Amino acid sequence: MSSDWHPGTIPPNVALDETAYVGTSYSFTRYRTGRSVGLRVGRGASLCDMTVLDVGPRGRVVLGDFALVNAARIICDAEVTIGDYALVAWDVVLMDTYRVPFETAARREALRELPRRTPRCLPSTGRSLPVHIGRGAWIGFGACVLPGVTIGEGAIVAARAVVVEDVPCHAVVAGNPAQVVRGRGMPSNRC
Amino acid sequence: MASMRAAARPPALPSNVRVGPGTVVTGDYVTGPLAFRHFRSERDPGLIFGAHCTIDGVVFNVGPEGRVEIGDYCYLQEALLVCEVEIRIGNHVAIGWHATIIDADFHPVAIEARIADAVACSPLGAGRAHPPFARRPVVIEDDAYIGPNVTILKGVRVGAGAFVEAGAVVARDVPPGRRVLGNPARLVGRAPAR
Repeated sequence: MSSDWHPGTIPPNVALDETAYVGTSYSFTRYRTGRSVGLRVGRGASLCDMTVLDVGPRGRVVLGDFALVNAARIICDAEVTIGDYALVAWDVVLMDTYRVPFETAARREALRELPRRTPRCLPSTGRSLPVHIGRGAWIGFGACVLPGVTIGEGAIVAARAVVVEDVPCHAVVAGNPAQVVRGRGMPSNRC
Repeated sequence: MASMRAAARPPALPSNVRVGPGTVVTGDYVTGPLAFRHFRSERDPGLIFGAHCTIDGVVFNVGPEGRVEIGDYCYLQEALLVCEVEIRIGNHVAIGWHATIIDADFHPVAIEARIADAVACSPLGAGRAHPPFARRPVVIEDDAYIGPNVTILKGVRVGAGAFVEAGAVVARDVPPGRRVLGNPARLVGRAPAR
């Protein structure tokens, strides 16, 4: 980063390939994982400007070789992996956790606890389900990928789709909630 | 570079904003200078934060007659509140990243009125009256959860403890304790319990 507009640094537990690109240290303003490697960025991979890595104390994000993440929001308490050659567009949300407890009384308690925390971030609720984006998949702008979802190799998620269940390899999904619109029942779905 | 650093400071609060004890209002590098740039409420108070809220990078676009009221222990993260009449948020409400809450249409529906509105909005529209448009208060009751990328439209009441899934576009009321998903948002059962 020769000209970073944000006065920050890349944390020491980021394993950055020497050929990888990180647009700005602003991406790490909500990165607080204590894992020995909290983020791995592969060969020729890019983490472009305004991508935010909201990674909790035990979270880990892996970006494969030549993967391109452009201004997405990654909310991770367990694991989010983005495969080689995958493309993730702007305003996309990849979340492996809701951060808030589901049960109302517990959620209320977490929110009452929040002002006493430094920084004011919600703790992991312990119910994170990893998100995996397959090799060569393409996530269109504004799409949301919910906890536990695996996007198959080569699949396409249309803009603003909300993906609540796994996407078969090489399928195209669209809509909210997302449904397969092309490529269902193909032999290439098995991978 | 220097101006970007200045933007990281908490935004200056307009005089008709009330902030309860323990509440923190932060701008981030994106919304720091934007948070109140479009806050034009002439009501007093035009914006009320309860106690112990965490308001992180939220943009308040509030018209002259608009008023926003937020209860205690709420957590709003980089949301956009667009208010012409009233947006009322209860206690213990969590609102995810990039959610939009908007209580008006801003333009009329009927085509003739809409064309007149386009002219009135134009650089040549000085002195022309803006035709009326739909505006109805939005109410989000206690303990509701609003996920990231959600849109809540005018007149909607989100019931107590309701769970609005990520990316949902909510145009109708959500009954208390229920979960909604999709565009348009549909009921998909009870709010998850565990």
